[in-house]
Amino acid sequence: MGVRLGSADRFTIDELIVTCISRQAKNSDLMAQGIATPLVVAGYILAKLTHAPDLIFAVAIGGCITNSWAPLSISRAEEANLERPLYIFSFDEAAGTLMFTIQPKEFFRPAQVDPRGDFNNVVLGDYYAPKLRLPGCGGIADVTNYSPRVYLYVPRHSRAVFVERLDFVSGVGVLEEEERKELSILSPGPRYLVTNLGTFDFEGGRMRLLSYHPGVRVERIQKKTGFPLAMAPDLHETPPPSAEEVMLLREEIDPLGIRELERLSGGRRRAKLREIIEREAEGF
Amino acid sequence: MSDKVVTLSEAVGLVEPGDTIALGGMTLYRRPVAFARELIRSRVKDLTLLALTAGYESDLLVGAGSVRRVRTCYFGLEIFGLAPMFTKKARDLEIIEETEVSLALGLRAALSGIGFQPARAWQGTDLLKVRPDVKTISCPYTGERYVAFPAIKPDVAVIHVQESDCQGTAILKGNLALDREMALAAKQTIITTERLVEEVEGQIATFPSRVDAVVLAPKGAYPTSCYPYYRLASQEVLDYVDACSRGEFEEYLARFLDGGEVGER
Repeated sequence: MGVRLGSADRFTIDELIVTCISRQAKNSDLMAQGIATPLVVAGYILAKLTHAPDLIFAVAIGGCITNSWAPLSISRAEEANLERPLYIFSFDEAAGTLMFTIQPKEFFRPAQVDPRGDFNNVVLGDYYAPKLRLPGCGGIADVTNYSPRVYLYVPRHSRAVFVERLDFVSGVGVLEEEERKELSILSPGPRYLVTNLGTFDFEGGRMRLLSYHPGVRVERIQKKTGFPLAMAPDLHETPPPSAEEVMLLREEIDPLGIRELERLSGGRRRAKLREIIEREAEGF
Repeated sequence: MSDKVVTLSEAVGLVEPGDTIALGGMTLYRRPVAFARELIRSRVKDLTLLALTAGYESDLLVGAGSVRRVRTCYFGLEIFGLAPMFTKKARDLEIIEETEVSLALGLRAALSGIGFQPARAWQGTDLLKVRPDVKTISCPYTGERYVAFPAIKPDVAVIHVQESDCQGTAILKGNLALDREMALAAKQTIITTERLVEEVEGQIATFPSRVDAVVLAPKGAYPTSCYPYYRLASQEVLDYVDACSRGEFEEYLARFLDGGEVGER
């Protein structure tokens, strides 16, 4: 799916999201990878292959810290992560001491986000009679109490995701100073959000548009958001990926197109998943 | 024989209706799948399923009606999507919300012989509302409010390992999850193992004095992975998801319980 206007077909929206994630990684960062987040993994690797060669990864699959990388894979992710681990952790250590002290940067994918950056990964609808029970929040309710490096991404920006009021709060947004103190929360809230339409922050406790993606109108972003957005004073177009970034993504980092799964749903997603798994079985 | 080696069905006999059963591994990695199969066959019901992250075998246990309560911080199939039977039955299950911290520190409290472990977590979320049993405390030194996560003591822990001896001295390679802690905290611990060896090499993960049964179960984690012996069998997990989306869980379960097509590749 190419983007319209001048940049037609030079990059896809997945590749733009990956590039935005990549640009948030600085060279000395420790980046945490959750599960089922190929856009994020691709973004981290892209950063390592371009501006952040010293990047280190804390990975859930395999439970280790590593500075090596391999092309995105479903069946082989664990063995790739465990091939040359720098450190193997238990979750007693990770949740009990390590995450608080090493404070990795992590991108989370929320099901719902409210104006001040609280988010939900637990349930849609009433908690006791849910419309849809979601997998759960992993460590999000923990990390958002202390981490200064919480980042968000939403592959499909819609009014169902960006809502005035969450069905359930499982990740903490930008709180008033007094409330933070009362709740012993150290985290300043999410620092950054990228969607398929633009990039945002929560400066001043309200979701704010920083940049609109090429070919996307600001009015459309507002229309797809269930509450009024603040606008950054230097609102601009999101810089597109370079030709090199696109080439690295397609040929080196994710030749199977696993990143595309995060934008698909239903039958199309299942068909793509099956195609990827069949190609993996053939040795790709 | 003074060793602890038993058959799978003998090991499953240690599980009583109503028990809290802790399953080792993570989502789709080194899960005690062979044990879950035998547990479903045993028709033991009313279980509380405890897992760091619950995946394939947990969904089968839920679908088969073995589980009444779920305690985990994630129940899903990762890139394969939602866990179909958990999603379908969510309204009928009792779900005890957990996070990485509440599980890790709950087990740590049990291992320390105390009632709770405090942490900077959960505040500002709705988790405390749906877990009224979880209290906050004031730090006696700084006055800050922390959440006091209650001790977690599983009745039975089941850990699938790469290698174990006949007494339950076992090793784990990577992906430690909360397995060492579950094995120590549980009243009874069952090891299922890819290989039974005279003597394990390397840092051990379980202590024989805290292991009650050892089961030789080659490919006992299939179709989840057992690094480095075999990788995640993606095709099989996808077949499961597809079967469920066609409304054919019962057919899949019957095949799974036969242990023919599934689990023997």
